[in-house]
Amino acid sequence: MAHLPVPPRSFLLRLTAAALAAAMVCPLGLAAQKQRVPDIWGVWMGLGGVTDADPRFRNTPYPLEPGFTEWGAAESRRLASATTPGECNPWGPVGVMGATGLFPIQILQGPNVIVIHHEAITQPRRIYMDGRRHPSADELLPTFNGHSIARWDGDTLVVDTIGTNGRTRPLNGYVSGSVLSGVDTAPRLPASEQLHVSERIRLVGAGGYLEDVITVEDLKTYRQPWTVKHYWQRRPDIDMQEYACEDNRRPDAEGQQTTVTAPR
Amino acid sequence: MKLLSPIGLIFVVVATQPALAHHSFANFDLGRETMLVGTIKEVQFTNPHVWVQVMVPDGKGSQTEWSIEAGAPGMLLRTGWKPNTLKTGDAVTVVIHPAKNGDANGSLIRVTLPDGRTLGPGGPPAALKPGG
Repeated sequence: MAHLPVPPRSFLLRLTAAALAAAMVCPLGLAAQKQRVPDIWGVWMGLGGVTDADPRFRNTPYPLEPGFTEWGAAESRRLASATTPGECNPWGPVGVMGATGLFPIQILQGPNVIVIHHEAITQPRRIYMDGRRHPSADELLPTFNGHSIARWDGDTLVVDTIGTNGRTRPLNGYVSGSVLSGVDTAPRLPASEQLHVSERIRLVGAGGYLEDVITVEDLKTYRQPWTVKHYWQRRPDIDMQEYACEDNRRPDAEGQQTTVTAPR
Repeated sequence: MKLLSPIGLIFVVVATQPALAHHSFANFDLGRETMLVGTIKEVQFTNPHVWVQVMVPDGKGSQTEWSIEAGAPGMLLRTGWKPNTLKTGDAVTVVIHPAKNGDANGSLIRVTLPDGRTLGPGGPPAALKPGG
């Protein structure tokens, strides 16, 4: 029986060294480019409330009548009367992608993972691109941002998120009458642990803008899915700022107590 | 020393949009505006929100310290503010949404600086123009 020839050991060592060297000189960004996927790396500012933004790239409003279930309606009323519980907690996948002009996001793009930082939120979104699936139900740990996986479908990043804990602020933010809700009477849009978020993210406007079509499915809260479309502008002129949420809380002067504490 | 205007003028206006997303602003009366004329005691250029402490004369020889809440530092830096824009002792005119409970607190609508410039509470910056 013939044996396959065994390469000399020195050849194998040289091959291994060459592979290691190639890996070391190939940063994540370059690897992404080699796969010819769109370059979404960088700082992006949401266009909600930006009055002079290009009218082609306007966020669609959140639904005013989202088709609440009984539980969803009650939870919406509860959140409307709450005084911002857990205001320093992460905002969840929909809140991160809220695309207001208040805070920028920063996208760090590698071939196997995309990390999205939101200026006002300490926990980043980690979107896995390595082909993994969501954990099974008995291994899935509910978290604020949930578990996100994605793949490129042509020029569109298709993101799927489950595993949220249902404890974030409303999906459309707290502030009645803000750039998030549009009008004072807008209902707070809660989410439960059954939240399933599907996103289709792509570059538009010759690469100067990012579009995210966000579909929210949460049958505990809403009778049917609803979709919003959000836009950001690429902002190489903006640096992300530090946001230490617990630093100088002033519940005294926010009206929840009657005395003013001495400034630190 | 010249006395500053002793009273805060209060009038009802159409509510303006608060650009402050960190927490509920339900404790401020977004349907009312109060004008304060006073001097800066301290600026807390901190997260999660910037606070401006303003001493306002009451016309009877004493002063009230007002706590005025603005947006996050990042928002202010993107809309014309610098960390040292306001300094202790600066004479300012401040327009706020006052606290519903009558305390000397409010959310900033705009502040007029000693040099006449007017700045807001932080919010969306202007869009980046082509070539900008």
